[in-house]
Amino acid sequence: MADRLKDKVAVVTGAGRGIGRAIALAMADEGAKVVVNDWGGKGAAPGAPAGNADKVVAEIKIRGGSAVAQTDNVAITKGGERIIQTAVDSFGSIDILVNNAGITHDHMVWNMTEEEWDAVLDVNLKGTFNCTRAASVIMKRQRYGRILSIISGAGFVGNTGACNYCASKAGIVGLMNTVARDLGYYGVTTNMIAPVAQPDELREAGKQYVGMPTFAAAIEQRAKYGIKRLYAGPGATGNEWTDHVAPLAVFLASDAAANINGQLLGIRGETVEVWTQHRIIRTIFDRTGKWSADNLCRIMPYIMADIFNFAPAQKIPTEKQSK
Amino acid sequence: MPNRLKDRVAVITGAGRGIGRAIALAMSGEGAKVVVNDYGVNVDGSNPSKEPADRVVQEIKHKGEISLANYDTVATMDGAENIIKMTVTNFGRVDILVNNAGIIRNRMIFNMTPEEWDDVIRVGLKGYFACTKFASPLMREQRSGRIINITSEAGVIGTSGGANYSAATMGVTGFTKAVAMELGRYGVTVNAVSPLADTRMLESISESADKIKNSRGILGANLSRGCGLPEDIAAFVTYLASDEASDVNGQIFFVTGGQVSLYTNPSISKASRKYGIWTPDELEELFRSTFASDLVNPAPPY
Repeated sequence: MADRLKDKVAVVTGAGRGIGRAIALAMADEGAKVVVNDWGGKGAAPGAPAGNADKVVAEIKIRGGSAVAQTDNVAITKGGERIIQTAVDSFGSIDILVNNAGITHDHMVWNMTEEEWDAVLDVNLKGTFNCTRAASVIMKRQRYGRILSIISGAGFVGNTGACNYCASKAGIVGLMNTVARDLGYYGVTTNMIAPVAQPDELREAGKQYVGMPTFAAAIEQRAKYGIKRLYAGPGATGNEWTDHVAPLAVFLASDAAANINGQLLGIRGETVEVWTQHRIIRTIFDRTGKWSADNLCRIMPYIMADIFNFAPAQKIPTEKQSK
Repeated sequence: MPNRLKDRVAVITGAGRGIGRAIALAMSGEGAKVVVNDYGVNVDGSNPSKEPADRVVQEIKHKGEISLANYDTVATMDGAENIIKMTVTNFGRVDILVNNAGIIRNRMIFNMTPEEWDDVIRVGLKGYFACTKFASPLMREQRSGRIINITSEAGVIGTSGGANYSAATMGVTGFTKAVAMELGRYGVTVNAVSPLADTRMLESISESADKIKNSRGILGANLSRGCGLPEDIAAFVTYLASDEASDVNGQIFFVTGGQVSLYTNPSISKASRKYGIWTPDELEELFRSTFASDLVNPAPPY
């Protein structure tokens, strides 16, 4: 067992399986004491079993590590508080928080119900806030902390049928950007990992999406609809390399990464990436200091001429026309 | 040519003041029939009132143009549904939806209350979803439409002291791109505009917060005052709503006085591949030697 994270206390949410479990195991292997949180809820696949937190804790102990199970729901304010409190009660403090718990409930926006929106935003975005807020108080006080959030390429580039998921993941980026700036002064680093390891359940759940029995069918459908970006995000084509994500999380949680703050890193199987966030690539100035709508309508078509619309209008007859 | 939006029906949320009001005035000036929605609250979401929406409708009617006031909150599904229903009842269709209503309740993350979080997200993110959900089937049926989402530099660039607002406004950018992909094929465009203009909201950001940020070398959006007016934002939004922008979809723009900028998506700037699983030791070496060479810590430790 290595000791990069010796005596550090780590909380990993959604650690019952997939990426969360891989990170929990890796951190425990490096000497961290780990709070394995998993609500055991449905995740993205209906009917997934509870009790995964206990299983992961057992695995860690067999490997000689130290861990406790925690089964609160991140989406509830008190749940997030209790998760962090468990770290304090069991191990004395919290040094590392990995916001990993996340779910999907896909639907096109015009069919999406309030429940589908709320469920995804509550777990993914509010859940991240709940745990982060509770942990930040302690990390600020002790002048040390590592906050990691697992996000997604889909949040940036957009994906059909997942406006709630995309909103939640982009929202986490906005949240983390600010947390990095609120807490950096106090010796706490905050970073994001966009993995391309597709946990089994999300892929399985893809078979249950309304009208989209498999991801392959979804890609086919997008192509048919003339959408020019077919994949959910860079390389999200169903790799199952959850093991690739964990070492990056371990590194970012370690002392060696003390000056890495506010960054967005990707891990695409064997490839590790640094991402830049939104950048301005083109600007037009009007010398009078005011752009009129007329002048904009005249000039913008040229400015936007090489920016392609990845979902261009198709000639689809309306209901009236097809009758 | 003041008839760019002739006979189009536009709904603008939060149109009682600031940027929303300027957009309502500009669009009605281009011939659109405008529903001025405003819950009429303070910048932090308190004290609803019908006055702001009514005042703007009066302004528009005074110019001889067509407008109607709506006082619903976007923060509930019923409120949002009502806004769209009322528009269709009175004007028969929805051509343009400008999601603009937003509130702020700034607080450092370690002090932020759950209510402060919930309130800002409910208006500034869920509200955008709710209005879009009810307007989009109509636009889809029409095979035409414009959805313009007002976001913020606080989200797109990042700042300190408003994690809820940054989350909401950045969430809006993800939402925008996703919905743009879903609706584009029906001839509906969905774009986001990050504005910098002198408004009540900008004024409410305390100067002492700015001073602390600067003294600590915290990097972030330059939300300084005196940069552009609401009318500047309205001119660009009018362009986005016009026929000239019919193939502009899923984009994010920054707009202020005399300046319009286009953002890219986040993208890979450096990548390194090995064969097999990276170890933490190898990652440390990689960052030390190449990756971290131009990474800037936006809030260095004291």
